[in-house]
Amino acid sequence: MKDILEAIRDRAKEKGLDFMDIRFVEKDSTSIQLQDGKADRVFYGRSAGIGIRVILNGAWGFATTDRITLENARECLALAVSMAEASRERGSTVNVTRVSPVIDTVKAKSGIDPRLVSFEEKMERVVMLESEARKVSPDKISNTILGYGDSWCREIVCNSFGTLVESESVRTHISITVVAKDGTLRQSASEHEAIQGGFELIRNLSPQDFSIKAAKRAIALLSAKRAPSGVFPCILHPDIVGLFVHEALGHNAEADSVMAGVSILEGKIGQKIASELITIVDDPTVEGLWGSYKYDSEGVPGKRKVLVENGVLKEYMHSLETACKFKSEPNGSARAQDFNCRPIVRMSNTSILGGNHSYEELIKSIEHGILLSKGLGGYVDPTKGQFTFRAGEGWFIRKGEIAEQIRDVSMSGILLETLKDIDGVSTEYVPDTLKGGMCGKGGQMMYVGAGGPYVRVKKLIIGGQE
Amino acid sequence: MEDLLELAEYGCEIAKKEGAEFVDAVAHRGRNISVGIERNFIKHGNVSTYSGMSIRAFVKGGMGFASISGLKKEEILNLAKKASVLAKNAQPDPDFVALPSPPESYPVVEGLFDEGIQGIDAGKLVEYLRRIIEEARSVNRDVVVNGGTGLHYSETAIVNSAGIHAGMRSSVIHISASATIRMGDEVGTFFDFDNARRLSDFNPAGIGVNATRMAMKFLGARHIRGGIMPVIFGPLSGLNIFRTLCYNANAEDIQRNRSYLLGKKGEQIASEVVTIVDDPLIPGGMNSSPYDGEGFPHTKLTVVERGVLKTWLHNSYTANKGKEKNTGHSTRGGISPTNVIVVPGRKTERELISEIKDGIYVAMGDISPNRITGDISATIDWGFKIENGEIAYPVKNVMIGMHMLDFLKNIDAISSDYREEPGAIMPAVRVQNVKIAGGA
Repeated sequence: MKDILEAIRDRAKEKGLDFMDIRFVEKDSTSIQLQDGKADRVFYGRSAGIGIRVILNGAWGFATTDRITLENARECLALAVSMAEASRERGSTVNVTRVSPVIDTVKAKSGIDPRLVSFEEKMERVVMLESEARKVSPDKISNTILGYGDSWCREIVCNSFGTLVESESVRTHISITVVAKDGTLRQSASEHEAIQGGFELIRNLSPQDFSIKAAKRAIALLSAKRAPSGVFPCILHPDIVGLFVHEALGHNAEADSVMAGVSILEGKIGQKIASELITIVDDPTVEGLWGSYKYDSEGVPGKRKVLVENGVLKEYMHSLETACKFKSEPNGSARAQDFNCRPIVRMSNTSILGGNHSYEELIKSIEHGILLSKGLGGYVDPTKGQFTFRAGEGWFIRKGEIAEQIRDVSMSGILLETLKDIDGVSTEYVPDTLKGGMCGKGGQMMYVGAGGPYVRVKKLIIGGQE
Repeated sequence: MEDLLELAEYGCEIAKKEGAEFVDAVAHRGRNISVGIERNFIKHGNVSTYSGMSIRAFVKGGMGFASISGLKKEEILNLAKKASVLAKNAQPDPDFVALPSPPESYPVVEGLFDEGIQGIDAGKLVEYLRRIIEEARSVNRDVVVNGGTGLHYSETAIVNSAGIHAGMRSSVIHISASATIRMGDEVGTFFDFDNARRLSDFNPAGIGVNATRMAMKFLGARHIRGGIMPVIFGPLSGLNIFRTLCYNANAEDIQRNRSYLLGKKGEQIASEVVTIVDDPLIPGGMNSSPYDGEGFPHTKLTVVERGVLKTWLHNSYTANKGKEKNTGHSTRGGISPTNVIVVPGRKTERELISEIKDGIYVAMGDISPNRITGDISATIDWGFKIENGEIAYPVKNVMIGMHMLDFLKNIDAISSDYREEPGAIMPAVRVQNVKIAGGA
């Protein structure tokens, strides 16, 4: 394959393009779905193809094909050039930062390659895990869904600077959702586990920490109160802090959003945007985390980035193009979902670093407030900085003590107001609470991690019913 | 198309030979072309050529699903074998009965493919975008426009072991623009779009103007006090309520005991002003087609009539399991509504607003109830305060908390006027007594 990529690069050089890269991506995935005790749906997928980007006369052209021959790749290059020609625009010039070429091959580091594990063993393990959930309370549990998946991916990036990087990765994940009922009332709870690694995740997973836990949580939620409506001081569990830092801060610190004029953090590098208790990093170099990688989809080494340090905005996440625009060092943050997607600026593993308070101290400090846990997803409008995310469960805090449990609820805030309203950060810290996080942006899904400590916020709006 | 049908047939035959009791195979190929704007400039042109096949094989009801990109015959051979092996490895599912049999005929749905769209090149797409940028800047010189336009055309063939053998060509053209206006620390944003299956339905003029004018109206958003008040969901958000309800009425969730609609068929779940029809046969409709993902013929279906839930949405699996009629809503992996149409009411949107003393207007957004519990907890991302019958000012950080069944029963009016898009009419919807949380 590398010979095809290099031949196309050489051809592109002859055409005098300002920049070009060609990526080959192939993927293999297997998944099993269990519902109500039956593993009756099994999936396999394989895809492969190439994507070629060019810059010509200051405009991008991008073309892709799943027919992987030298002839088709040449045709694909011609299409990419024609798209750049059509997109040529007076007054706007696209460019990329020139980087030193990298030549490297990265092999996947999986303990037990899931492709070498027998299907029977996979089935046996997942069936056991799911059945343990239903045993918790056969009368109360009305539905269980367990999803297991493993995937293998190889990406080769070749560009006109001379880079030729091959990266291989293996990921394994499992999730369960349990629905419990009491009369007409239904509540659900989910648990997820995911690693950049192999089947060791499943072999080492105990039902107590996974399926039984989800079942017990779903049953407990049957007795929980409906969430209140209004403004409350809140303690955010690391589960929610991960979502918060990803949705609210992370997306705004992606330099392509800044470049497009839709980030609330535009022009704020060096300014204080958060409480000084807050330091936020994005780090793809932590081995084994879901969102980690050695090279991004432009072949640039991934770097640990301090986005916010003691409340001051320090850095955006960059692609080669945004680094050029902002005259910054590229930091390896351009990632593409597949061969048929353009690399765009993405987060890797994003987290707020731990602070000085203990969890107990934070709870004790609240007279009447709410502890929110179990992030179920969220989104942000980066332009306004308004974010929403959903907690799977929570508890009232009354006179410094955890009180009644509440059901799932969403909360909303304005980023620059909420970041300044954080007045307590715990020492307890969890690097990835998303566990199998998939972030959607520009029509592409990407593996991401996010986490952090317990965080106290002076006020958040809770969209409950009471 | 003939070669796609032959390849799908080949995949089916191999999987059967390998021991599958039921098989379906879908082969497809197509091309996407798109051009994007970033900060008022044309930024990139993309073209993607794709093809692939997926095969579902069933053994004792257990399903193996395998897919590949590309259409090489030797890879289809391996794919079909793989699907059969997976099906044998899957645990049996006694609730699976059969895949659909071929119908006597399929309905004819006009306007799903337009050669005119296939003939559009990137240069023409760039022209559309330039016009939008000019339009937007004619309203406000400082507007930031992002967005894009694109088209795709494709051919899809489906063959199953029960004898279904069908093919379809499809085309889509779309454009969207988001406008951002900044004044000091204030930011206003809005979005508009147009899409169509045929060129004659495509009219991008005005998108830049609408998005920019609306973005300007969102400058100066205020926190408000919460309470219980009426809310009007405008044309870009009202239809989402009924789309969501149709998604929630899927038979799979009912049969799996995980839906807030359990036991509600035949019951009054919404106020009498609500009648919802799912119509996959609308000529040129964005979600129109003669058959569903399994090749089962499409028909028009009344889902809610004067507030009464009339049916679940089925695919072949849930219809056989529930011993009910297949409604043709398979996506070949799940169940989905097609073109959701809500019957308009008698008063105009303007009249509905004028009757509100103190309330909220939602210009764009979704209420997204929890599909298991029915609880709604959502932010109004683009909302205005209504005071004394007029839209007064934009609001920020406002949330709705309510149960979906209470919400549906509190709908007291659907407007007589509406926005129309291919396969969709989009009226405004008024809901009384909505629980609102605000930050003031």
